[in-house]
Amino acid sequence: MAVPAAELRSKAVVSGSGTVGLRRVLGPDYRMGYLFVLPIAICVLSLVAYPFCYAIYLSMTHKLVGMPPIFVGFENYIRLTWDGFFQRAVVNSFIFTFGSVIFKLGLGVVMALVLTSRIRWRSFWTGVLLVPWVAPTVVSALNFLWMFDGSLGVLNYLLVRVFRILPQGVGWLSEPGTAMASVVAVNVWRGFPFFGISFLAGMKAIPGELYEAAAVDGANPLQRFRHITLPGIRNIMIIVVLLSTIWTFNDFQIIYILTKGGPGGTTMVMPVFTYETAFGAQRLGEAIAVALYLLPVLAVTIMVLARYMRQGRRR
Amino acid sequence: MKGRGAATLESTIAYTVLGVLAIVVLFPFYWMIVTSFKGEDQMRSVVSMFWPKPFAIENYQLLLAKTEFAAWYGNSVFVAVSSTLLATAVGTIGAYALARLKFLGRGFMASATLITYLVPPSILFIPLYKQMQGLGMANSLAGLIAAYPSFTVPFVTWLLMGYFESIPEELEEAAMIDGATRFGAFYRIVLPLSAPGVLAAGLYAFTQAWNEFLYALVFITDGKLRTLPVGLASFIGGDGYGWGYLMSGAVLTTLPVIVAYIYLQKYMVEGLTAGSVKG
Repeated sequence: MAVPAAELRSKAVVSGSGTVGLRRVLGPDYRMGYLFVLPIAICVLSLVAYPFCYAIYLSMTHKLVGMPPIFVGFENYIRLTWDGFFQRAVVNSFIFTFGSVIFKLGLGVVMALVLTSRIRWRSFWTGVLLVPWVAPTVVSALNFLWMFDGSLGVLNYLLVRVFRILPQGVGWLSEPGTAMASVVAVNVWRGFPFFGISFLAGMKAIPGELYEAAAVDGANPLQRFRHITLPGIRNIMIIVVLLSTIWTFNDFQIIYILTKGGPGGTTMVMPVFTYETAFGAQRLGEAIAVALYLLPVLAVTIMVLARYMRQGRRR
Repeated sequence: MKGRGAATLESTIAYTVLGVLAIVVLFPFYWMIVTSFKGEDQMRSVVSMFWPKPFAIENYQLLLAKTEFAAWYGNSVFVAVSSTLLATAVGTIGAYALARLKFLGRGFMASATLITYLVPPSILFIPLYKQMQGLGMANSLAGLIAAYPSFTVPFVTWLLMGYFESIPEELEEAAMIDGATRFGAFYRIVLPLSAPGVLAAGLYAFTQAWNEFLYALVFITDGKLRTLPVGLASFIGGDGYGWGYLMSGAVLTTLPVIVAYIYLQKYMVEGLTAGSVKG
């Protein structure tokens, strides 16, 4: 700061003028600070905080499209608790999320490891592997919808005619046995590069001397990975896993485009259930109750994650 | 000798894994492009599965002449560019204030911004839709431009806060000792130095807005006002052999994002690793 704090304080005592007093209470840069933060504040209040509170209110009403809301308290939540379709969507959401996150974690570690090993054109390879993360998700989902197609899809063509692994084609997205695995695969395909690039950044920050010392002590690659690499990227791993858990749990477009929750509800997850309840069944209050049902879990996750993210910045 | 053998083994494994991952990552795009250049006759048969034969551009012609694709393209460009400019401007000054300026409530605002970034759209889309309806902005591109800052602004702010924090504070102090105002130090010193970061943040905001699906699906009911992702998705289930022109639309939708990415990959990778999660 140009003006030392002590000097500021003495000035305030001597003059006692309004501006200096305000500076003392609100901080030395309060004018520019508030001016610069105002647009964000408006944005946060009007586009997130207000809709969020409005959502909580609406979730406690019977609201049909075009009708005024009627307050019913926790009725929507209680009704949902015993609704078989909803219960199934909750279970599916957890399967979809944890299935996806585990594979993204594994592939992300593999991606980071190969990108930090002795290879040429490192930035080229990094660029290639990041493509699914940058490409529009809708496009990727449509590509997979087309590749998974039961009769004309290229996946069946490859497996049946080229490699002859399967005797006949599989309706990847239309058969209950394979639909969930297929949508998980697409989510993993799209999301693992983010894990990889984050771990890569973490691994680059680990001092090389640690590995040299371990090699001198006779540690094999696996031991080096376990005792140096993993602890070194521990915090990043926690952040990325929590972040991805939130994103995956709330992922709408991949499942909406690939299966719309079908076949027979086997891939129906909570965000799609919310959408269907709101715009298919036209029951807005109940739809928002679906979206907010696991709010306590989400809130705790966000709080923990935000703490880690701010800590990561401070170091 | 032993060390060299291990090194060769290591790079052999690395290249094998990279090769497999690259094929898995790129194949869907290869397949998208090939499909988009296949004619209808070839689609019905399985002749020359992996290469267009003959090379047909009828899908693109059909797409531009018979569908509203061109209008959607215009809508997407308009919405994405407007919301990118808005988010980058708001996010840049906000991030600077939260990273550098000293004022009461700074820590609170920084936390609020971060938490906002983490609140998923799936719990906001219905109330936001009602809100836009109340303002008469549902079913308009303005409604989308007004709603997109809910995710672009917190993201840009969070990314740039990390960037600004990494610029040595002494530079601004020196400028202010030489008589620059606080704003002058920001405008003349910090902003030019952070140009790569601002560029990366802007690009991410653009891709987020360009790719956004849920709000656009819910808010827009008029077919002509759709953005590309929703428009493309509306082709599904049209007619059974519509894959050719669907894929040509997918190619054209991916194009601007990938072109920007190829040119500015360095900034985007750095921005992501330095800004969003720093180790």
